[in-house]
Amino acid sequence: MNFVFVKTLKNSRESLTDRKGKKINVFFRALPRKDQRSCNLTKKATMPAVKGDNMRGLLVFISDIRNCKSKEAEIKRINKELANIRSKFKGDKTLDGYHKKKYVCKLLFIFLLGHDIDFGYMEAVNLLSSNRYTEKQIGYLFISVMISANNDLIKLVIKSIKNDLASPNPVHVNLALQCTANIGSKEMAEGLGNEIPKLLVTGETIDSVKQSAALTLLRLLRTSPEYIQIGEWSSRVIHLLNDQHLGVVTSAASLIEALVKKNPEEYKGCVSLAIVTASYTDLQDYTYYFVPAPWLSVKLLRLLQNYPPPEDPAVRTRLTECLETILNKAQEPPKSKKIQHGNAKNAVLNEAINLIIHMDSDPNLLVRACNQLGQFLQHRETNLRYLALESMCLLATSEFSHEAVKKHQETVVNSLKTERDVSVRQRAVDLLYAMCDKTNAEEIVGEMLEYLETADYSIREEMVLKVAILAEKYAVDYTWYVDVILNLIRISGDYVSEEVWYRVIQIVINRDDVQGYAAKTVFEALQAPACHENMVKVGGYILGEFGNLIAGDPRSSPLVQFQLLHSKYHLCGPATRGLILSTYIKFVNLFPEIKSTIQDVLKSDNNLRNSDVELQQRSVEYLQLSTVASTDVLATVLEEMPPFPERESSILAKLKKKKPTVTEQAENKEPKQPMPQAQMSNNVNTHNTPLSVPAASNPPSAAASDDLLGLNSPGPSQAAPSAGSFLLDVFDTVGSSPPTNGVDSNGLTPGAEESFKKFICKNNGVLFENDLLQIGVKSEYRQNLGRLGIFYGNKTSFQFSGFSIDTHCSQITCTPKPVGTTIESGAQVQQVINIECITEFSDAPLLIISFMCNGNSHRLNLKLPVMFSKFSEPAEMDSATFFARWKGLSQPNQECQKVFKAKFPIDTEQNKTKMLGFGISILEGIDPNPDNYVSAGVIHIKGSQVGCLVRLEPNKNAQMYRLTIRASKPPVPNILADLLEHQF
Amino acid sequence: MIGGLFIYNHKGEVLISRVYRDDIGRNAVDAFRVNVIHARQQVRSPVTNIARTSFFHIKRSNIWLAAVTKQNVNAAMVFEFLLKMVEVMQSYFGKITEENVKNNFVLIYEILDEILDFGYPQNTDTGILKTFITQQGVKSQSKEETSQITSQVTGQIGWRREGIKYRRNELFLDVLESVNLLMSPQGQVLSAHVAGRIVMKSYLSGMPECKFGINDKVLMDTRGRSNMDESSSRTGATSGKSSIAIDDCQFHQCVKLSKFETEHSISFIPPDGEFELMKYRTTKDISLPFRVIPLVREVGRSKMEVKVVVKSNFKPSLLAQKVEVRIPTPLNTSGVQVICMKGRAKYKASENAIVWKIKRMGGMKECQLSAEIELLNTSDKKKWTRPPISMNFEVPFAPSGFKVRYLKVFEPKLNYSDHDVIKWVRYIGRSGHYETRC
Repeated sequence: MNFVFVKTLKNSRESLTDRKGKKINVFFRALPRKDQRSCNLTKKATMPAVKGDNMRGLLVFISDIRNCKSKEAEIKRINKELANIRSKFKGDKTLDGYHKKKYVCKLLFIFLLGHDIDFGYMEAVNLLSSNRYTEKQIGYLFISVMISANNDLIKLVIKSIKNDLASPNPVHVNLALQCTANIGSKEMAEGLGNEIPKLLVTGETIDSVKQSAALTLLRLLRTSPEYIQIGEWSSRVIHLLNDQHLGVVTSAASLIEALVKKNPEEYKGCVSLAIVTASYTDLQDYTYYFVPAPWLSVKLLRLLQNYPPPEDPAVRTRLTECLETILNKAQEPPKSKKIQHGNAKNAVLNEAINLIIHMDSDPNLLVRACNQLGQFLQHRETNLRYLALESMCLLATSEFSHEAVKKHQETVVNSLKTERDVSVRQRAVDLLYAMCDKTNAEEIVGEMLEYLETADYSIREEMVLKVAILAEKYAVDYTWYVDVILNLIRISGDYVSEEVWYRVIQIVINRDDVQGYAAKTVFEALQAPACHENMVKVGGYILGEFGNLIAGDPRSSPLVQFQLLHSKYHLCGPATRGLILSTYIKFVNLFPEIKSTIQDVLKSDNNLRNSDVELQQRSVEYLQLSTVASTDVLATVLEEMPPFPERESSILAKLKKKKPTVTEQAENKEPKQPMPQAQMSNNVNTHNTPLSVPAASNPPSAAASDDLLGLNSPGPSQAAPSAGSFLLDVFDTVGSSPPTNGVDSNGLTPGAEESFKKFICKNNGVLFENDLLQIGVKSEYRQNLGRLGIFYGNKTSFQFSGFSIDTHCSQITCTPKPVGTTIESGAQVQQVINIECITEFSDAPLLIISFMCNGNSHRLNLKLPVMFSKFSEPAEMDSATFFARWKGLSQPNQECQKVFKAKFPIDTEQNKTKMLGFGISILEGIDPNPDNYVSAGVIHIKGSQVGCLVRLEPNKNAQMYRLTIRASKPPVPNILADLLEHQF
Repeated sequence: MIGGLFIYNHKGEVLISRVYRDDIGRNAVDAFRVNVIHARQQVRSPVTNIARTSFFHIKRSNIWLAAVTKQNVNAAMVFEFLLKMVEVMQSYFGKITEENVKNNFVLIYEILDEILDFGYPQNTDTGILKTFITQQGVKSQSKEETSQITSQVTGQIGWRREGIKYRRNELFLDVLESVNLLMSPQGQVLSAHVAGRIVMKSYLSGMPECKFGINDKVLMDTRGRSNMDESSSRTGATSGKSSIAIDDCQFHQCVKLSKFETEHSISFIPPDGEFELMKYRTTKDISLPFRVIPLVREVGRSKMEVKVVVKSNFKPSLLAQKVEVRIPTPLNTSGVQVICMKGRAKYKASENAIVWKIKRMGGMKECQLSAEIELLNTSDKKKWTRPPISMNFEVPFAPSGFKVRYLKVFEPKLNYSDHDVIKWVRYIGRSGHYETRC
């Protein structure tokens, strides 16, 4: 009892301090109560009441404070009192217990008024060793309110607590236990972790002490479980459930539940005992508003939910009987009109139903529980309705009771529509979702769609997802599915996420039978004067693919289709416009008769000179495509999209992400029901892949294909470093490397070598990109040190897990900074790699990346763009020096000469840029032929430097180059020549 | 403009509520109570914005005065008005307490009607207000009297009525200054300024025109220049140490500002009775009347020794009064022993300070106090912050060096001249925040 009191005091501390008016009253009300208590307890403990225990000084002080007119006056009074207490504590060391108690009490009161107290702790600790109950009690009160876990005095306190725990007087033991439970710090658990279990199991301790000990142990177990070793006493702790005293059983039940959660095997024995206790008939002696021991029952029922249904038939029957009794009792008319009666009864019943659901074995019980919940569905109490809906949600997933739940469909739908509280409506949506199957899907989806129009904003998005999932899962007829989704977009387009409409497109593409219907429906839907942008997206995509299927009808002739779509064009955002432009080019292929109209549109300034780069590029390219390409080429390029590979619905993943708890439970329990996998899939991971490129010349297998025409706009941050050279690079890589899956002959991921070469003359750019991942590199070098910033961007809508990066290098030191193992969807992670050049090298370090994405593991082997030339710095010199040095390096192994064919048109400026990018200077006026390039550079290696001289002689007529490199260290010219050879 | 005015007691109960404009709703009263008076954290800013409504408040003892507006008003004007309002109320019923406000609520509403019109401040001069807002119940005034009051209040010189007659023409001039100082333990002045005001009590007949001369540098320089050809010897006298630099000043409404601007002379027709003629502030060349030299020594963790020396720094013939030195003590003080040569010193636990009082102290003297403070060991490791030692006093001179040079009275209509007026001038220097760090 005191335990509760102290706790309230402590909890109310914050509120006490800021509300001045109330706090005194609270304390005042508290004081006499406390005194009463102490008197009661003293009587119980047969302690003689101490004379002069009323602490008059304290009462005077409190009434002074209450009489203060203003805050200032109060502060003055408190200052005075504090000074007095300080002088008392300082002055005579021989304060007797009574005075000490009084001053400690005053300090406590001042603390509760909101002032800081920084002394008096020692006196309070002294009080603990007193033999008087009241002094000890005040001491413990002060300590549990004031002492924080890391106080120096905590050791002393623990010592006194230990003494008190060993005391023969049960009242002292209880005080000590209360204090322990209130503070519950790590040190306490460490110091007392052994004593308390002993108290709990020894025969001598009286019931009330056992009760407190169980609760204290529970508290310590929660704060610092590592110090609590119950070990050999576990069986005896379990047997506490058998105790005669209800209080002990109740508190032990809480403790055992906590222990079971930690170590279920060890406490298995409690199951049968719990059942025995739960069915005890003599619980009748302890009733709360006519309900026998509701708290204990609830705790025991919850305890049983930690274990599977008991094996032993006898025990099992007993449990069933017990549960039946509870269900029977629920049917009885209420014995009292008081709310407490109803609450207690329903609490027990609810826990029983939870247990029934948990066991999920007895159909009879499940159906009964379901019926019971059905009654609650119409109950007046909102809370009951909420609980009923929630429990039913679980029942619906059980095979036994699924049918029974379905009976209540009408009620649930009704509550969805009429319920006032949005959280209850949310539960109703959950339940409808859970109880939906083939038989009632159409109805439920219809109801939900109907409700969606008026639904609360907070649950709309989730409802949209659920409708989409249900419609897909239970669709028998895909025309119905298409209708539902289009309706969904019509009703609440704002809440339809990308996934939903991606999905409908996948399904339409993968199923031939609905394509015509879909085209017709979207065409009709688009005719509405105002339609949502998502609708335009779906419409644009589907008409672009299957517009020809409805072109026969004069009402939807090609021109009409085009005009309809184009009437929406100006109302849409850039992403949708891009999509519609793709549709137009597809129309060019499908309906050559309207080609000129479309070309006019593409030609318009609005498109051709749009400020949005993406739209402008599309317009330009599509216009070119439509004029340049022959019909055959056009037909190949703009072929119908191939079916998507099958995958788990991304909508489901989204729903799970949104609401991890409820739906997952539902999904986990659902494997019994076969997932009707239509020939569907999703490939919606990349931002706008399915739309941006209608299958281009290569089949959609290679990574880079998305970027073929540079249509896919990478995120602005990623695009920045490569903006200039991006297109050029992509064009030249595509030609040279036919994409293969897996790795090439060098063990590298395809494209790795090419992108590596791009970095010979530049420091920043995109190293690798496929439809999962983009890797960008920024690097800087100073002397023989380098620093690479590598950016990993997750392009998918899934999280990358187990992301790990490994570097292999033999000739240079390469220290990557660690990165996290996960990359969230759409996120970018940066890694810094520090590099030191130790000696000359020709092989670049390898970068091995492995990660899991959406259940598939991926591995990429790339070359880090670090070449020997990166450590070179341009050197300036005049003609004389140059030739002197050139002649100085005349030994055969100091020179390397290569003659090669030009890969690019010979352009002086570009070549200069490349040479400078390579890290060597351009020296003018040294070579007599102005067309030749002469350069010098210094390469920094750890501890030394290598000078190198380069001469590049272009032959414009033959489109050839001659490259001569001389350097002071033998292998260097060859390494550099190899690198530089492929750049011109 | 001011939209309304509320007066609350310390509990936030509304004592007076007067709304002048329609844009202030009924809930404004509660908004201020909830957001300022009952705020969780004490509101320090005197201006609070709640839902596009501004509240300007001042507090006098336990009473809150709040002006509320929805418009973008001049905040300084509003506060000036509130302070005037307090002044008016004080002159009517003394101290502003809950009791007094409750007892005089009719009067307060009457005053509020008069001094604010549609939110625009009107004449707040107490003397004038008292002519037509009286506390002696409803006095039936004769027609002439009322018309006279009307013409006078609406006339050009609203602050003085005609036909005042005294047998003895007398005037009193008080120069009241408060010195503010913050000094480092080493005796370095960190900041110092003097805020002065000149309060005049006039008992003059008719409508006299007064001219007031002070030793302000600017005024004297221009005067000197204009009088250059008249008498060169006088110029020599004025330029020198005797003039002071006034940073800024402010006049009663009766002073003719146009004359001050053009001729740099302060000329006015004074209201009858007491009024504040001028306020000013100086920061340069302040003669500090006292110097406090603290010496604090912490002897271990349980004891502290404090020694304070106070030196007076003015003419030995003058006498300072009500000298009080307040020496803060640590929060864990458990006992104090004080010895002082002069005056009486006492440890006041309720204020956490040693208060040393000296009734009188002559110039160029020195007194000393030493104290031993016992400390209690606390669990708190926080070091004592050592708040500054503060001082209160009153001296019979102006620490800024301010001097009244002349005050001339001209009354052309009545037959008394400047010589017949009896003039009294008094200088009082008081302490403001006069603190020395220790």
